Amino acid sequence: MPIEPAPVSGQIADPGSIAVRRVSFAFGSGRPPVLDDVTFDVASGEFFVLLGPSGCGKSTVLNVIAGFEHPAQGTVLAGGRPVEAAARDRVVIFQDSDSLYGWLTVVDNVAFPLRVQGVATRERNERALAVLRVVGLKGHERKYPGELSGGMKQRTQLARALVLDAPILLMDEPFAALDAQTRSILQDELVQLSVTMRRTVLFITHDIGEAILLGDRVGIMRAGPGSSIKETIVVDLPRPRRRGSAEFGALYERIHRSISEEVQQALRREDSLLS
Amino acid sequence: MAMTSRTGISVDRLDAAARRGATPIDVVDTLPPTRRKRASRVLLARHSPWILTTLSVLAGVVVWAIASRTLDSPLFPSPLRIAQALVESIGNKTLLVDIAVSVRRIAIGFVLGCVVGVPLGLAMGLFPLVRAFCDPVVQFLRFVPPIAWLIPAIMWFGIGETSKIAIIFYMTVFLVLLNTMTGVAAIPRNQLRSAENYGVSGWQLFAWIVFPATLSYSVAGARIAMGNSFAAVVGAELIAANAGLGYRIVDSGQWMAMDQMFSAMLVLGLLGIAADRLARVLATRFLWHYVHASDHAD
Repeated sequence: MPIEPAPVSGQIADPGSIAVRRVSFAFGSGRPPVLDDVTFDVASGEFFVLLGPSGCGKSTVLNVIAGFEHPAQGTVLAGGRPVEAAARDRVVIFQDSDSLYGWLTVVDNVAFPLRVQGVATRERNERALAVLRVVGLKGHERKYPGELSGGMKQRTQLARALVLDAPILLMDEPFAALDAQTRSILQDELVQLSVTMRRTVLFITHDIGEAILLGDRVGIMRAGPGSSIKETIVVDLPRPRRRGSAEFGALYERIHRSISEEVQQALRREDSLLS
Repeated sequence: MAMTSRTGISVDRLDAAARRGATPIDVVDTLPPTRRKRASRVLLARHSPWILTTLSVLAGVVVWAIASRTLDSPLFPSPLRIAQALVESIGNKTLLVDIAVSVRRIAIGFVLGCVVGVPLGLAMGLFPLVRAFCDPVVQFLRFVPPIAWLIPAIMWFGIGETSKIAIIFYMTVFLVLLNTMTGVAAIPRNQLRSAENYGVSGWQLFAWIVFPATLSYSVAGARIAMGNSFAAVVGAELIAANAGLGYRIVDSGQWMAMDQMFSAMLVLGLLGIAADRLARVLATRFLWHYVHASDHAD
């Protein structure tokens, strides 16, 4: 008999679903926990944004789901199967574009996951070029990452993730290092992509506006240490969403208040520890 | 509207000057003093590789000539005398033989050193167990300079080729190994994680990620080793040899043939520069995206 309660809903076993169950995590035993009892679900095809103050462990949640880090307690299910290691069904897009291979051209970078799988050169180049067209990098295939702007590097990362047709995309603040203009363009494109492709996206950010702009739901994390999900908010606004609208503003206020409370409580906790 | 170059001089004006057979520097001279200063700095910076190199070489030769003239001693032959000795030794083939002998020793020791140093450095960088085992020895030996091994090497391997090649090999291995190891540590974690994400196997990780990602570090180590090889080979040949540039220095000294001695030293310096330039040209030509891989990741 399973110890954890079995998933009730039938859609949980869908390849795109993510289930995080009572996950705790610490960098080494004896160290204070980064995550303490994190539980949430992401439905297949859903765009879920994880939002929280910096240092609260958002990226750690993503790394645990990706299989890069292993939880001290709890389980993560991806597509209904327990996560044990990194795998091709959950592709990560990193904040830092240093994950691109500097010695490979853009097309070779994007084709790399296929090369690992043993796909023939001709086929993998065709597939890579097709994805490069989707992310708007046609004409830049032969460049090296060092010759690209920050935005183009992130497009390349996105293409390299999309080429695998993975049901789940894990995006770790992919636009945080970009200038406002480029960020806004890429946000719009990502919304369109996620609507047409219907992949499950787990998107990490500390930017409230970005969270409302992109997410179907927004999970707000508590300030660390020992962080968990404070509340989950459904973003029930039609797309494309505009930052100027009244509903957007109201939601922004609500989330902002929730995070501020969290930060202030954390500061009070620290004060009481110090006194 | 007239286009201006970075010097603040209009391009038309430079073109007109060029048609008259004047150089940009002549144009600078026609400018008012305030603009002249800035423009000549920019021009000097742009053409400095050649202007300054020529000036620097000329200055060296002039200083040497003055010293030689003033001291008027057989121990300080004039630049002209050294040049004559150089031509003579090229004519009677001794110099060419010496060059061939020394270069061969360097080449063999250097290539062997790279062939052993790169894989060992990769292994030490990748596997904590290998590193823990090898590091104490490596850390100890890197502070025992190649020169210190000369006497034992000659006693073990004799005065022939082996002892010289062994010294070059020794020096190259450490420089390449330590640099390669540093390169492995410098691989961005995201590169390793993304590779893990795509499910690379052990050898794919090694051949497709770790080796290319560290290549620029290995090449940097090899370039330093190449430079030091000249010092090491001369050291080895000074102690005991029957040919080579280092041997030529000792031999000329014994005959008080100072001109011949300095011509051998001149050749050493020129060979060193040539080898370094060649390494750089090859690296930029064939490996530029590897060599710059680390600069590119920002």
